[in-house]
Amino acid sequence: MEHEKLGRLLPDGVEQREADELDATWRMLGAIDAPAPDSERMRARLDAVIDAVEQTQAPARPREVRTYVLQGLAAAAVLVIGISIGWYARPGGSAFGGTRPPSDTSSVSEIAAMRSEMHDLREMVSLSLMQQQSASERIKGVTWTGQLDRPSGEIVTALLDALMHDPNVNVRLATIDALERFASRDDVRRGTIDAVQRQASPLVQIALIDFMVKTNERESVATLRQLAMDPQVNDAVRARAAWGLQQLG
Amino acid sequence: MHAVRKGDVAKLGILFERYHRPLFDFLARMTGNTAVAEDLVQDVFVRVLKYRATWRDEGRFETWLFRIARNARADYFKSRSLDEPIDEAAGHASHAPLAIETLARDREVARLQRALMLLREDKRELIVLARYRGMKLDAIADLLGVEVGTVKVRMHRAVKDLRDIFLRLNESPSWNTRNSVGSFPTA
Repeated sequence: MEHEKLGRLLPDGVEQREADELDATWRMLGAIDAPAPDSERMRARLDAVIDAVEQTQAPARPREVRTYVLQGLAAAAVLVIGISIGWYARPGGSAFGGTRPPSDTSSVSEIAAMRSEMHDLREMVSLSLMQQQSASERIKGVTWTGQLDRPSGEIVTALLDALMHDPNVNVRLATIDALERFASRDDVRRGTIDAVQRQASPLVQIALIDFMVKTNERESVATLRQLAMDPQVNDAVRARAAWGLQQLG
Repeated sequence: MHAVRKGDVAKLGILFERYHRPLFDFLARMTGNTAVAEDLVQDVFVRVLKYRATWRDEGRFETWLFRIARNARADYFKSRSLDEPIDEAAGHASHAPLAIETLARDREVARLQRALMLLREDKRELIVLARYRGMKLDAIADLLGVEVGTVKVRMHRAVKDLRDIFLRLNESPSWNTRNSVGSFPTA
């Protein structure tokens, strides 16, 4: 930072000897280290504020309206389907209050069909939320995937895609948590190992290293070793990678 | 800033990238605490959003921004307990204790840093703005709402007091805030 010479900042009439002494102090001030901000963390916090403000000030856009309608319909549908399953499942029950029980075979197949429908609805809502402009909505979508018993490949692909390409750090961090339950899948293992090298964010890289250790992902050893030895990599990430290597033995 | 004022709040990100470092530097040097400085920078940008309609483009944007930063810092110190300890003069140099112990020059610098934190807040602010932010006299005068001549007189006193505290710290390392010139930030 270019700064003024002290002499130009002082009033007229200061004695030369005093001016020299003060100038020595002034110059020594330049030796004090500049504090370093954690820019990434600060930016993530600001992005959350911007998202919140955009949500409150923007008129409801058609896409968002569709999402809210979709969420409302999904919730109502899940409720109706859930009640119906309850009716069918109870001894002698039928879907619409009749007293004649359906045959066992038709009852079981209808319950299965309803469960499948409910599952599809939840998936649809998750995927829809993950496409939203707002980061907080996308985080909600990622979190919704946790409610799915057996998520389809489409959900896992969407999570991996968010991990690799979502511009918001908080969304990417949320996907790492969400992917943990799929850690045994080959595509998730490959995807997370690939991501740890490509991520620009040290925060996400560190979270991925923790993910490797938690899921005992031994195939990541070569990648972690590469990170730990690369002088271009952020110091904290290198240290975490070295720690990860120790943990994985 | 024009776009932000018109409601394109996403453009705040561009302003953040351009100004968060100088703001952080100013606030960290003023508070002696990097965590507090980060919180205050966040507060500054939230205030920019809140008061964006009040910005007039005939003035310097940086001056307006630093005015907000000064207010954010003042409000912070008003709201905190006076008994609460401050991570003061230890500051950034304390993160390298070995260097300070082994090198006389570093010891001097650490002492000067401590002296700066013991200096009265308004004087410290003048020095930080001119020495570390490279602000010109007229910009400082505009920011503080005083004449350029007044800034010069205050600058003289500020650097003189800083030197006095520094020399007294050299004489007596145990010298502390209770003997200091002025008090620690009360805003």
